[in-house]
Amino acid sequence: MIIEALIAYTFVAALATFLAPDERAGQVAFLLSLVPVVGSLYMWGQYDATGNALLGGDLAFETTIEWLRVAGYTLSWHVGVDGISMPLIVLTTVLTTLSIVSAWTPITDRASQFYGLMLFMEANLLGVFTALDFFLWFVFWEAVLVPMYFLIGVWGGPRRKYAAIKFFVYTNVASLVMFIGFIALVFGLGDSVSSLSLPEIAQALRQEGTLGQFGALTPEALRAVAFAAMFFGFGVKVPIVPVHTWLPDAHVEAPTPVSVMLAGVLLKMGTYALLRFNFTMLPDVAQTYAVPIAAIAVISVIYGAFLAMAQQDLKRIVAYSSVSSMGYVILGLIAYTEYGVGGATFQMVAHGLISGLLFMTVGVIYNATHTRMVGDMSGLADRMPITSGILVAGAFGYMGLPLMAGFAAEFFIFVGSFESAVLPFAPVFTAAAMFGIVIVAGYFLFAMQRTLFGPFRLETDYEITSAPVHDTLPLAVLLLCIIALGVAPELFFGMITDAVTPILNAGGGF
Amino acid sequence: MVPAQWYLMLSAAIFCIGLFGILTRRNALLFLMSVELMLNAANVNFIAFSLQWGNVTGQTFALFTMALAAAEVAIGIGIILVLYRNFRDTDVTKATTMRW
Amino acid sequence: MAGAFDYTPAIVLLPFLSFLLALGVGRSMPKGGALAGIAATGGSLLLSVWAMLAVANGGTYNQTIYTWAAGTGNSFELTFGLLVDPLAAMMLVIVSLIAFLVHVFSLGYMNDEGETGLPRYYAGLGLFTASMLGFVVANNLLMAFMFFELVGLCSWLLIGFWFREEAPPSAAKKAFLVTRFGDYFFLVGVVAVFATFGTAAFAGEGSFPALAEAALAGEAATEINTFGFAPQTWFTVVGLLVLGGVVGKSAQFPLHTWLPDAMEGPTPVSALIHAATMVAAGVYLVARMYGFYALSPTALGIIAFVGGFTALFAATMGVVKREIKQVLAYSTISQYGYMMLALGAGGYIAATFHLMTHAFFKALLFLGAGSVIIAMHHNENMWDMGGLKERMPVTYWTFLAGSLALAGIFPFSGFWSKDEVLYEALAHGLGGTPLLLAAWAMGLLAVFFTGFYTFRMVFLTFHGEPRTDVARDPHGVGWNVKAPLTVLGVLAVVAGFVNMVPVAKLTGAHIEFLHDWLAHGLGGLTSEHYGELTGQFAGYETGYVGSELTTVLLSGALSLGLALAGAGLAYKLYNVPAPVEHTDRLGSVKTLLFNNYYQDEYQVWLADTAARNVARGADKFDQGVIDGVVNGISSVSLFSGSRVRRIQTGVVSNYAALLTLGLVALLLGIGLMGGWFL
Repeated sequence: MIIEALIAYTFVAALATFLAPDERAGQVAFLLSLVPVVGSLYMWGQYDATGNALLGGDLAFETTIEWLRVAGYTLSWHVGVDGISMPLIVLTTVLTTLSIVSAWTPITDRASQFYGLMLFMEANLLGVFTALDFFLWFVFWEAVLVPMYFLIGVWGGPRRKYAAIKFFVYTNVASLVMFIGFIALVFGLGDSVSSLSLPEIAQALRQEGTLGQFGALTPEALRAVAFAAMFFGFGVKVPIVPVHTWLPDAHVEAPTPVSVMLAGVLLKMGTYALLRFNFTMLPDVAQTYAVPIAAIAVISVIYGAFLAMAQQDLKRIVAYSSVSSMGYVILGLIAYTEYGVGGATFQMVAHGLISGLLFMTVGVIYNATHTRMVGDMSGLADRMPITSGILVAGAFGYMGLPLMAGFAAEFFIFVGSFESAVLPFAPVFTAAAMFGIVIVAGYFLFAMQRTLFGPFRLETDYEITSAPVHDTLPLAVLLLCIIALGVAPELFFGMITDAVTPILNAGGGF
Repeated sequence: MVPAQWYLMLSAAIFCIGLFGILTRRNALLFLMSVELMLNAANVNFIAFSLQWGNVTGQTFALFTMALAAAEVAIGIGIILVLYRNFRDTDVTKATTMRW
Repeated sequence: MAGAFDYTPAIVLLPFLSFLLALGVGRSMPKGGALAGIAATGGSLLLSVWAMLAVANGGTYNQTIYTWAAGTGNSFELTFGLLVDPLAAMMLVIVSLIAFLVHVFSLGYMNDEGETGLPRYYAGLGLFTASMLGFVVANNLLMAFMFFELVGLCSWLLIGFWFREEAPPSAAKKAFLVTRFGDYFFLVGVVAVFATFGTAAFAGEGSFPALAEAALAGEAATEINTFGFAPQTWFTVVGLLVLGGVVGKSAQFPLHTWLPDAMEGPTPVSALIHAATMVAAGVYLVARMYGFYALSPTALGIIAFVGGFTALFAATMGVVKREIKQVLAYSTISQYGYMMLALGAGGYIAATFHLMTHAFFKALLFLGAGSVIIAMHHNENMWDMGGLKERMPVTYWTFLAGSLALAGIFPFSGFWSKDEVLYEALAHGLGGTPLLLAAWAMGLLAVFFTGFYTFRMVFLTFHGEPRTDVARDPHGVGWNVKAPLTVLGVLAVVAGFVNMVPVAKLTGAHIEFLHDWLAHGLGGLTSEHYGELTGQFAGYETGYVGSELTTVLLSGALSLGLALAGAGLAYKLYNVPAPVEHTDRLGSVKTLLFNNYYQDEYQVWLADTAARNVARGADKFDQGVIDGVVNGISSVSLFSGSRVRRIQTGVVSNYAALLTLGLVALLLGIGLMGGWFL
């Protein structure tokens, strides 16, 4: 029952924060958000499952309560945690708390509403990562968009309306396409399933002969079309090239804490869903189209990295880097090896922490300098040594410095995809994607050299000083998490691979 | 007993008169009256079928419709008063501020 | 003696501890963390010596100590482990000794000069030492790669130490980027090794060199995935991929361009990183997995060629440089070329030998240059020096010892090792691999240039009349500068005596200690085994001019003669009271050399201009085409919306009419479908 308790608590906490006075809302939200952190860490400590949430085996904290019957399908409150969702839950709670703290400085207007929406988003995110019934999951999935829309549209930068609407419409259209694809599959299954329970549907889809004719579509065609629809729908969220253009706009306009949540957790919804739906339910289609999918992954990596190189805005640099990093996740998923899929899941967490760290650091610099343009400043390390040091550490983490989480994730993915038996020319694709680490190093080093080093130069009418402690403390916490995961990836990797193995094994039947 | 189709023809005639009123009149009061005509056309239908089948469901609905029509008139007159206050006229084609 | 190996992790952890201390509380520590660093590296040195003694007594150590990632255990595990064999033990002592001396020297170079940011400096040194030592004791390729990268990070931190200026951060960036480019290939290689063999262990029965050897010998009992290639072809590919990292870190052509720029860092850092250790990492890696390279004649040939070419190429550039550290930088590149030449030519011992002697004399030369730079108030231009001989005798004599060793003059250490390198290349070249002779010829020619630029540097710096006021009255240096110089000076003289092969061949006395040292150890990692492998798989035979003895003598005489000729020319031209730039007579060749054969230009063009243009193009495409389509779709819907909304006239009668029309249309439609009108 702990999942229900956490979700319900977070909704109540969101409501309480809405009612809190503006000047105290930051602290209230921070204190309230500590409970989910403790709760998720407790869950992690108590975690004892070894199965996959969709394909069977032991699950942790599972509850099923029958809820409604609609058109012959049972809808239930069905939640549970496996090795794929557990790390993401911890990531969600930790990042929410830290980004709430990082909001103390920049958010001054309508504070109680801001923090309330953050908590409201957290509750829905927890729902997305735990729900095992399609209806329930879809409600949470869509409900995440609402707070995000307001967080960008109300507290954002000058073009916030454009960015918020673009984000909302883009992801909502994608959800619609995904929904149609998935429901077509469910109807195609006919009498094989009697509920919208994801495990039931996944297991039915992985058996031969369960899928019937659907309209003009043969079962094979239905699989392919549904796969494509869901791939597009989730791909927008990831985002993969070429449906990524909402991301830089949203990031640039969003306030720092919202960027942290967007890059840190919301993008992971896309990859999480890809793994849960496309790659778990329709492995045969994924494997048939392995080459184009891997090509998309490689293009995302290289193209995203080059886009990042062309940017002058520090936030845009980090935003486009996310496109690049998420390409690695797709590459790992399509490999269908333990290290590939496990590494992809690990990368979700690692990238969540590292991009969160970088966005926060850029935000702290922005708080002090009121500019994010690379060309506007130089020699910042002289005035803000600690923040600069953390930015350096974060950037090197992003470049895949060993003993930081990013390296572990990328190395797992590379090893996994190199030896992939599913993907033709796996070594070529892997080597091509790996070139991303050189480009990433290039633009981060250039950006750091120009902003942090050299003689100090920045035109302000006030003195630039070190950031306040409550700004740098979340950075330090994140950095420690990143190093801890880099030194001991087994903290998560063991449970991830436990959950991933059934996806790889049961690929037979086709 | 009068066959049901006579009632239906009556009802259709009243409905058409009401419809004609709505499409051609510009005075809001006449507009409202035309709407009442159409509602009563529906009532005639209800009653006719109630008589035809010998149950009271249709009559019940007719009573409902009357109550509804009364409420509608109350609101409609209110709207017309506001319309007049704002535009110094009850011509419905003058009040076009809600276009596009 | 197992006790020594139990403390091996401490060799790595002690400097790491000093890193943490300097980073955390360095501000409040005496000397900005220097003392902690000295204590830590001193401790590492003692433990390394202890480990070396244990190895000398026949012990070796190969143990996995930490499972980094295991997954479910169905696939391979990724682990950290320690491997202490004769090669590693030797390298441990070298690295910790030089790190220790550099820490002491830094007291004079950094603390006494009143630098700011000392905790950061000592933290960098500590982390660097820890990473390098971790790299040395790594027992598998993944761990080696990880520490290799950390070494790269530290070089970035230390080269860019003076970050408030323009040049050091730029040089740091270049160093990291160029080596990162090499490391990209290395990483692909590591991944390929895992995918091929399922392990990356260096030593033992199931290690990847052993598996590769078994596969080539036809004992295909092991499951090896060669991705559809013939095993030898695939091993060559993998070997060359890993070699990419080596070429980057060891500054071999064409990835050597970062090293001269890296002289922007503090001079002790140059001594530590760019002379004795980080650059040595590449060569050490090849030596570490020599059992794998020995299987592939193509890879060996490429290593030898790259090495020979780099040796010559860098030596020619060293001839015209004005700054003392620049000369040393190019000599470093050149000397590492020799080591690569030796490795490629099957001279595993020769390469290790040169690695050792070079570490001593090059650290010595850099520290000596640092001493000169202190004296010259941080002016590095040799043309502003002159006549420092009388004013700083300790520095002069030790620097001279290092220079003689670098030039390869009998009987200094560099002579013995360089001679063995060239001898191995010659002997194997004569023995049926004639391509090696070309590499040998380049290496031999480089000896002449080495002699010339080395003594040009010595004479310009120390001899003649002082050419500036500062050189007339130099800044004094303290004990903390002189003591490391003295230690290294002695080593530069005597280190060669551990392996006097020509003397052994002449007299028959058994004095090839290094041969014996490397010949024992873990099975499969001995020089004898490597000799068998190069003979069996690469076809390396030994050939002679006349007899073995005449070849030894001929080779030694040739290299000594050329070195002396170079030194003699320098003596004639520059050992005068007021030397002039004789290299100006080279005309356009000098311009070419001074501009480093325009290597930097094309690399900067590639990394900066070309990459930026691609990036800008991608950005235009992204903003224009991809986002254009997205915005286009939204414009289309907005436009059609603006047209369709015209039916909202605001006239209620129109709405009623539309409603009626709709109803009629609906009725008609239903009627047509339902066949009412038939």
